[in-house]
Amino acid sequence: MFRTNMRVCVLLLVIFLLNALPLQMVIAATPQLSEAPLIAKKPKESNVKPLHKIIDEQIQSEYKDQTNSVSTISSDGEFLRRVYLDLTGRTPSITQTREFLNDSRTDKRAILVDQLLASAEYARYTSQQLDVMLMRRLRKKYINVSTWEEYLRKSVADNKPLDQIVREIFASDGSNKETQAAARFYLARAGDVNELTRDIGKIFLGADLTCAQCHDHPDVNEWKQDHYYGISAFLIRSFVFTDKKKKQTVFAEKAEGEVKFESVFEVRDKTSKGAETTLPVVFNGPKISEPAFKKGEEYQVKPAKDVRPIPKYSRRAQLGVAITAPQNRRFARTMANRLWAMMLGRGIVHPLDADHSDNPPSHPQLLEILTDQMISHQFDLKWYLREIVLSETYQRSSANDLFTKKSSGKLDDSRFTHAIMKPLTPEQFSWAVLQATGYADIHRKSLKNKLTEESLRKRLLGYEKRFVTLFGGLPGKPVEGFETTADQILYLSNDGGIQGLVMPSSGNTADRVLKVPVDQPDKIAEELYLSVLNRHPDQTETEEVAKLLQGKAGVERSQMVSDLVWALVMSSEFRFNH
Amino acid sequence: MRCDYACGTHEGLSRRSFIGGASAGALSMLGFNGMTEVQASKKLASQQKQVVVFWLSGGVSQLETWDPKPGTETGGPFLSIPTSAPGVQISELLPHTAQQMHHLALVRGINTKENDHGKGGYIMQTGRKKQPGFAFPYLGSTFSSHLSSPDSPLPGYISVGAGGSSSESTFLGPRHAPLVLSGGRAPSNLELHKSMQPDRDQMRRKLRNKISRRFEQKRKTAHTEVYNESFDQAAALMSKRDVFDFSKFSDKDVERYGKHDFGRHCLMARQLIEKGVTFVKVGHTNYDTHSENFNFHIEQLGEFDKPFATFISDLYDRGLLEHTLIICMCEFGRTPRINSRIGRDHWGTAWSVALGGTGIKGGAVSGKTNETGTKVIDREVNGGHLFHTYYQAVGLDSTEEFYPNGQPIAKADPKAEPIKEILV
Repeated sequence: MFRTNMRVCVLLLVIFLLNALPLQMVIAATPQLSEAPLIAKKPKESNVKPLHKIIDEQIQSEYKDQTNSVSTISSDGEFLRRVYLDLTGRTPSITQTREFLNDSRTDKRAILVDQLLASAEYARYTSQQLDVMLMRRLRKKYINVSTWEEYLRKSVADNKPLDQIVREIFASDGSNKETQAAARFYLARAGDVNELTRDIGKIFLGADLTCAQCHDHPDVNEWKQDHYYGISAFLIRSFVFTDKKKKQTVFAEKAEGEVKFESVFEVRDKTSKGAETTLPVVFNGPKISEPAFKKGEEYQVKPAKDVRPIPKYSRRAQLGVAITAPQNRRFARTMANRLWAMMLGRGIVHPLDADHSDNPPSHPQLLEILTDQMISHQFDLKWYLREIVLSETYQRSSANDLFTKKSSGKLDDSRFTHAIMKPLTPEQFSWAVLQATGYADIHRKSLKNKLTEESLRKRLLGYEKRFVTLFGGLPGKPVEGFETTADQILYLSNDGGIQGLVMPSSGNTADRVLKVPVDQPDKIAEELYLSVLNRHPDQTETEEVAKLLQGKAGVERSQMVSDLVWALVMSSEFRFNH
Repeated sequence: MRCDYACGTHEGLSRRSFIGGASAGALSMLGFNGMTEVQASKKLASQQKQVVVFWLSGGVSQLETWDPKPGTETGGPFLSIPTSAPGVQISELLPHTAQQMHHLALVRGINTKENDHGKGGYIMQTGRKKQPGFAFPYLGSTFSSHLSSPDSPLPGYISVGAGGSSSESTFLGPRHAPLVLSGGRAPSNLELHKSMQPDRDQMRRKLRNKISRRFEQKRKTAHTEVYNESFDQAAALMSKRDVFDFSKFSDKDVERYGKHDFGRHCLMARQLIEKGVTFVKVGHTNYDTHSENFNFHIEQLGEFDKPFATFISDLYDRGLLEHTLIICMCEFGRTPRINSRIGRDHWGTAWSVALGGTGIKGGAVSGKTNETGTKVIDREVNGGHLFHTYYQAVGLDSTEEFYPNGQPIAKADPKAEPIKEILV
C-alpha cells in the first residue's frame, strides 16, 4: 500500500513538473516507476547515511599524514568525461559537454549520474564489462555469443540483482530456449571441470585456487586442496551432451561420480594416505549432503546411447544457491570489490582474485561495509555504482602536485588520494574515437527518428569489433592492465579507417572546426578541445592552435585541422580515463 | 591433469606474483627491460646470434626422417640413405637434406612422455611441462629477450606461416611477443596512409607528443610513457619496412625454393635473418598422419626437403650459419606401430629432432632407439635437455635464472643438462 501510494505521488509530481523540467530528466526518471518484478527493491529512504558519504569517511580517515597531498575534486570537464566513460562507455558529445559545463545547478553531477544510469548506453556498456569479467572474451562454443550478450544487456537494463544473474547462469543447462543463453558460461568452457573451478573461484569468490588443484596452495596457507575440490564436486558429474536429433548441445549430468584428490607432494614423499573425496562445498561453508537412492533408482531418465540422462538429484543445481547464499560473504565481498575496481581502477583487495589473509585489503572496514550493504541492498548493481560515482573519492582529480616531483612514489594508488588513470577499454576507446571525431554524430543525425542505442550501434559495430580485436587481448586472455603493441599504433596512425574519421566530412569535428570563422581563433580551439577532450583549452593551447593555423587556407588549413584532431585523439589524455 | 612438482619449489609462482610479473612486462615493453641481465644480453647482442625454428606441425614421423628403421616390422616401406656426414643415415624421403647433414646434428633419444598436441607443443617450445598457475615463455620470446638489442626497431620474434600468440612471451612482456606474418604477408599499416606525407606525419606525431606531455605534468606517468614510446617504436618499424618487402625475390630463388607456401616462407625467413631479425619461426603443416602415413610423408616431405636444405646451404654460403642456430622440431614423433589405416599415431616416447648451425657439431648424433624404434636405449633426453642445448649453442648460460617480479625462475629445467656431445 505504502509503495503504491508513493508511486502515485511521484507520478503526479512528474506530471505536474512536465512543463518545467527538461524532457531528458523526465525520461531519466521513468524507468524507476516500472513494476517489473525482477528489479532490485529500492531501499527505504530514511535518515540512514548514504553509502557514498560512508565511503568518503572511511577513505578520508585513512589519509592520515597524506591529508595535505590529497588531490582536489575533479573539474567539471574531468568529471563529465570520466563518468560518461565509466557509465556509458563513451565520451560526451560537444553539445552535452557544453550543456554540462554551462549548467550552474549545484547538484548537476548527481542529476547527470541519474540520467546516465537510466540510459540504454548504460545497460549496453555495463553488460559488456560484466561479459568480459564472466567470459574472458572466449569465442563462441555451442551458444550464440549475441544471444548471451542480449541476455546480459537485458538483465542490466532491468537492473536484475547480481546474485540472481549468477544463479540464472549456474542454473541454465542450455536445454530450455528461454534460458539457453546463460549456459554460455559452462558451454564456452566446454564444461571442463578444472577450467570452471578455476574461473568460479577467481570471478565469484576472489580466490585463484589454480595452485590448489594438485596440493594445498603453496603460498596461501588458508587455501586448501579441499577448497578446490569442494567446488569441483558440484560439477564433477556434469558433461557436455549433444542431442543429435534436436541438434542441441547441453550441459548434462549423471547421478554418480565423486571428486578424488591427493597431494602430489604427499605422493612424492610417500606420506599420502590415499585419494580423498569431498561433498560439494563453497569454501568453509556447510557441506551439501545429498539424498540416497536405491540402486537403479537414481535417474528420472536413465543413461543410454544417444539419450540425455536426468538424475533425480542434481548436484550442479546446488551451485548457484551455495555461491550466492548470504552465509557465503565471499561472493558479496568479491562483487563489491570487483565493481569498486571497475570504477576506481584498483580493488580494495588487489589483485581481485587474491583475497586472503596474507594480502589484506587496503581498507578492511570499508570492504566490510560495502559487503554488508551489497547484501542488504540485494545486489542492486545500479544503486551500488551510483553510490560509488557520487563519492568524493571517485570524483578526485588524477592530477596532483606530488606527481610533478620525483618524490611521486609517495602517492600510493591504494590510498585513493587521487584518481587512478584507467586505460580505456577497447569498447570505450572505439566509441570515444567515434564520438570525438564527430562520426557518431553524423550517424545520429542521419538516423533521424530511427535513432536508438541499438540502431546507432548497428552502424558503428565494425569499429567496435576492430578495436576489440586489436586492443582486447586474446580470446580467453583479455588484456589486464595496460598494454600497447606495434600493430595497434600502426592502425591508429596509418589505417584508412582512422584517417577517414579525422579528415573533414560533412558534420564531423574537423568539418565543424573549419566552419568556425578564421578570425576567431579562440572559438576554433574551443570547438576542437570541447569535441575531443571535453574541456576548454587553456591559454597555451588556444595560442598553439592559432599559431598552427595562422596564414593557412584551403587544403593546407583543412589538413592542419585533421592533424590537430588526430593529435588530440591520440594523446595520452585521450587514451586514458583520467 | 597433473601439475609439475616444481610448482611448489623455488620455481613456483603464485598467480599474484605472476600478475605482477606480467604487468611489469607490459611496462618494460619497448626497451625498458633494464632489470634483468642487461650485461649478458648486451654481450650477446654484439655477437648477433640468431635462431630459426622449423616447426613441423602435427608431429612428423621420426621413422620417415631422422631415425629410419628399414626392413623391420615398424620401419615402413622406405629405405635409409647415406648422407654427407660419414656414418649417418636418414630416410630416403630427405635426399636434399642428406647432402647438408654435415651441418646438422641429430638427437634420437627424445622421450617427452607426452602424446597430446597442445601439451607436447608446450614442452617442446618452453622446455617444461605445463603447470597450472604459471606460464613459461616460449623460446621465440626467450631468445628475443636474450639476443635482440633493446633499442632495435625490429621485433625480436617473427613467425612466418606458423601462427603464434601474444601470450607466448608471458612475463617477458609484449616487446617479445611474436609478430605473426599471417598468410605470409607483411604487417598491415606499415605504410603511411595515401593522404599523408612523411613531414606532415612527423609534425602531427610531435604535436601529439607535446599535447600529451602537457597533460602528464601533474600525473602518474608509468603507463603514459609506454604509450608515448610506442608511437616512436611504430615509426621506427615503418622506417624498416623494407625488411617486410617480400616482393623482390629473384626467379631463380623462387625456382630453387619451390613455388609453394613453404618455399616462399623459407625465402622470407632467409630475408628476415639477413636483415637481422633475432628469431624466426617457420611452419610446415599436416604431419598428423593417423591414416595413410606413408603417402602423406611422401607428399609433405617432398615439399619440405628441398627448401629446407636450400635454406641451410644458403645460410652457409652467406656466412650466416656461423651465428644462426637451426632447430627442426614438432610436438612429438609418431608411433612405430602402423595402425589399421596405414597410419601412425602420436608418440612422445622415442623420437628425434635435428639441430644445426652455430654451436652445433655438424654430423653428430646423440641417443639411440632400439631396433624397432619403440624405446630409447641410449642417452634418453627430454624437452629440458633440449632447452639447455639451445641456450649453450648460442653462447648463453642455461643455468641462470629469470627474475620476473624479483622471484627466481630457472631458465631451463634444473633437473636436465645440455646434450654436450652435439655441441661444439
